[in-house]
Amino acid sequence: MSESEKASGDTGNAVDPKLLELLVCPLTKTRLVYDAKARELISKAAGLAFPIRNGVPLMIEEAARKLTDDDFRRA
Amino acid sequence: MDQNSQTTSQNTAQNTGQSTAQNTAEHGSENTASFGFRAVPETERQGLVNKVFASVAGRYDLMNDLMSGGLHRLWKRELITMLNAPRGTTSFKLLDVAGGTGDISIRYAEDSGPNATAVICDISPEMLEVGRRRIADAGLQNRIQCVEGNAEELPFESSSFDAYTIAFGIRNVTHIDKALAEAYRVLKPGGRFLCLEFSECRVPVLDRLYDFHSFEIIPRLGQLTAGDAESYRYLVESIRRFPTQEKFAELVRGAGFSRVNYRNLTGGIAAIHGGWKI
Repeated sequence: MSESEKASGDTGNAVDPKLLELLVCPLTKTRLVYDAKARELISKAAGLAFPIRNGVPLMIEEAARKLTDDDFRRA
Repeated sequence: MDQNSQTTSQNTAQNTGQSTAQNTAEHGSENTASFGFRAVPETERQGLVNKVFASVAGRYDLMNDLMSGGLHRLWKRELITMLNAPRGTTSFKLLDVAGGTGDISIRYAEDSGPNATAVICDISPEMLEVGRRRIADAGLQNRIQCVEGNAEELPFESSSFDAYTIAFGIRNVTHIDKALAEAYRVLKPGGRFLCLEFSECRVPVLDRLYDFHSFEIIPRLGQLTAGDAESYRYLVESIRRFPTQEKFAELVRGAGFSRVNYRNLTGGIAAIHGGWKI
């Protein structure tokens, strides 16, 4: 599913905090929750998790993972 | 605005509502968009465009050199001069859309002060990967960030950038009006919009030479250098389908921008359109 795990491996994986402040969900324009462990940006409003690969947030619907009931329970 | 005379009888069942037709007027049917001179189903266009860029990403500079005879370097320089980013310590935030390979952002960062930063937003992961490496080579990771995103659905907070640039990108967007509306949304009041794009050449003789170069030379060069005449043909055709200077200025005004103007470069082979969010 999330290819971020395999594709990473280099050190530049952290997302700049100043960039995180600017980002919103591209579909709903609402704030995102940053899951640093899973390297995902979560849009509860859209029910999507956007992956971060090599420090680059992939903010298009096609790249996102659909949130599961589990995700919602944890959040 | 005269291009929007499409009836909106679309919205197919699984569609997410992103289908106000913009570039399709002359093809008549409702859900098609132009892909070069071909009409393709609107929902497929972005995927086809993405393939072109995935195919040319590694040779993008070479491609631009071929297509513009090296002039794109001067044109980009002109764009950055017009941007007039602060050289002192004032902070300044640029959003560079479709700037995947870092061309604009790197030059801008090198030309401006330490608090002038850029976010590159590009839909093509291949183009961004080229840019990411170049940004690291230039040691500019702290000032330039990359995001994969669609110009029609920007993943940024409203009113957050001082400037928005898009160089040779807007003609590859399916719904230009949506991209312009998003540009307007993310700019701060007082923010600057600048768009560099191939345009309509208006100089006699030069226009003929340019036609010959575009339709006879470029696809052959593309075939020779990249084994990929198709992608290059798309690029040439998409240039010719793009609205003329005045028509595009109208679209920019239509998105809400003020003091919209344009400057022709090399007899109009390219043009820079500018506007302000007031």
